[in-house]
Amino acid sequence: MSFLLRRAGFYVVAFVVAAIFNFLLPRLMPGNPVDIMFAQAGTVLPPESLEALKATFGFVDGPWPVQFGRYLASVFTFDLGLSVRFHPLTVNAVLMQALPWTLLLVLTSSLIAFLLGSALGIRAAWRRGGAFDSFGAPAALMIQAVPPLVTSLVALFVLSIRLKWLPTGYAWAPELDPGFTPAFIGSVLVHAALPILTLVVAQIGGYLVTMRNSMINLLGEDYITLATAKGLSDGRVRYAYAARNALLPTVTSFAMTLGATFGGALITEIVFNYPGLGYTLYQGITARDYPLIQGQLMLMTLAMLTANFAADLLCLALDPRLRRA
Amino acid sequence: MRAFFTSLLANRKASIGAGIVAFFLALAVFGPLVAPAGPNQRVGRSHEAPSAAHLMGTTRMGRDVLAQTIHGTRTSLLVGLSAGLMITAIGTAVGVTAGYIGGRLDEALNLITNVVLVIPNLPLMLVLAAFIGAASPATIALIIAGTAWGWGARVTRAQTQSLRSRDYIHAAELLGEPTWRILACELLPNLVSILGFNFIGSVLYAVVTEATLEFLGLGDALKVSWGTMLYNAQTTSALQVGAWWEVACPCLALVLFGSGLSLINFAMDEVANPRLRTLRLKLKRVAA
Repeated sequence: MSFLLRRAGFYVVAFVVAAIFNFLLPRLMPGNPVDIMFAQAGTVLPPESLEALKATFGFVDGPWPVQFGRYLASVFTFDLGLSVRFHPLTVNAVLMQALPWTLLLVLTSSLIAFLLGSALGIRAAWRRGGAFDSFGAPAALMIQAVPPLVTSLVALFVLSIRLKWLPTGYAWAPELDPGFTPAFIGSVLVHAALPILTLVVAQIGGYLVTMRNSMINLLGEDYITLATAKGLSDGRVRYAYAARNALLPTVTSFAMTLGATFGGALITEIVFNYPGLGYTLYQGITARDYPLIQGQLMLMTLAMLTANFAADLLCLALDPRLRRA
Repeated sequence: MRAFFTSLLANRKASIGAGIVAFFLALAVFGPLVAPAGPNQRVGRSHEAPSAAHLMGTTRMGRDVLAQTIHGTRTSLLVGLSAGLMITAIGTAVGVTAGYIGGRLDEALNLITNVVLVIPNLPLMLVLAAFIGAASPATIALIIAGTAWGWGARVTRAQTQSLRSRDYIHAAELLGEPTWRILACELLPNLVSILGFNFIGSVLYAVVTEATLEFLGLGDALKVSWGTMLYNAQTTSALQVGAWWEVACPCLALVLFGSGLSLINFAMDEVANPRLRTLRLKLKRVAA
């Protein structure tokens, strides 16, 4: 229990640090912070909304601690202010519209990359030094070195602009009405295929290499030799004995790679005009919509912390030593 | 140490990787001498396809794509190398200090490291860059270094902790060597392979991240680099009008340079094995 409490305490600290960062940044810039943050907002919002927006970000009369307290209060009540680019929507509303699309991309691609990469990693480790291993492992590392930006641009050009197999952007065909109809769901899947494909390519190498390396370590253990000596089938030894334990490091690294996946999804969405968080963020950046950009950082941090917390719980379930500590 | 470098040089992957990286370094230094045109010089019509006169075609503005890529190499590599150096320096300093001195200082440094690791990098950098406005390459290098040193610090700290209880460190302490000497002369040489991984990985990360930030329009669009080339291609819809060559050349440079670095890293992993590999797995568990 104390393990979980310690972790939870750390997550609160990390979240507050992200808030401090958001709070300090406009105040550290040269010039008047209010002018910097709300230069665009002033041209769009009516005066009373502008006042409310300033208060949300802690621009109230009083010394810094009072201002910071005001800002923390807004953050912890998830009041992220008003969007300038998408006036009159609140930042919350804008982010909530975009979140499901990003989750669709991130979760589907992570799952596919995890399953496929781990299976290939098991294969490479089982025949270490064989044809597949000596080609597959370096290839995986090379693929990992290709930035998601390049993968997205190449996929966009080859598969949708040249070959016209898949649509070049957006989440569904504009002539359809959103709803649970077969035509709409099919359209969503076709539009998501290309972004998901590029994200799978970006992630798969990491899973392959992690799985391969931890399998190779485990295959030297005595209990594997024993299992083989007992006459168990190859498949049984491979999956039920070796791969099962080799999965642990992969599971724990899953949460850590999620941040990179979110980052990759941002780029992919922008290239494909996919209406998720990344594309929204991009629109926010081009319009200098600071409340939206800052809100996005808080949401992403929250997503990372949640994923880490889930990984902690999973570790607690998988590793009995943590429960005693 | 010497054995490490000798077997590294004998490795074929390492020599190919080093060759690629050396090629780009040479291009960064001597590029302006061999480039067929100036970076912002108009040499032809808009979006000319690759030909003998312009090997990789021209941009929307009628500039030579190959020449721009060659000129951009210097900026991209300069940002990559300087940010990589800073990431390694901060990570190593924090990691060695925390790991060797321990106690309260370790707890504080470890907390900071974990916070840096858990706040997602890209959104953090985007917020920073958005406030700064058109960020110069130097600013981008600083932003990247300031947000990305966490991984190196964690790995170095773990390795330092396992080294500090060795006999030779105790001997140095009993001899009364000053702390800075133990850190610099006793610990650091044994961290060289980790330092190498950290540096190469960081350079790769920094080059890609710089390109990404500039692609998003957060850089100084007038400075020619691989990232700003992609940004200009995107804003002029080069791909949509079929001018793939405007994107192909900087993409190819990014991929080739990245592959060179990964090959070196992969070879180093093979040479430094098996101890490093088991170490890394332990680290992941500690991390969780």
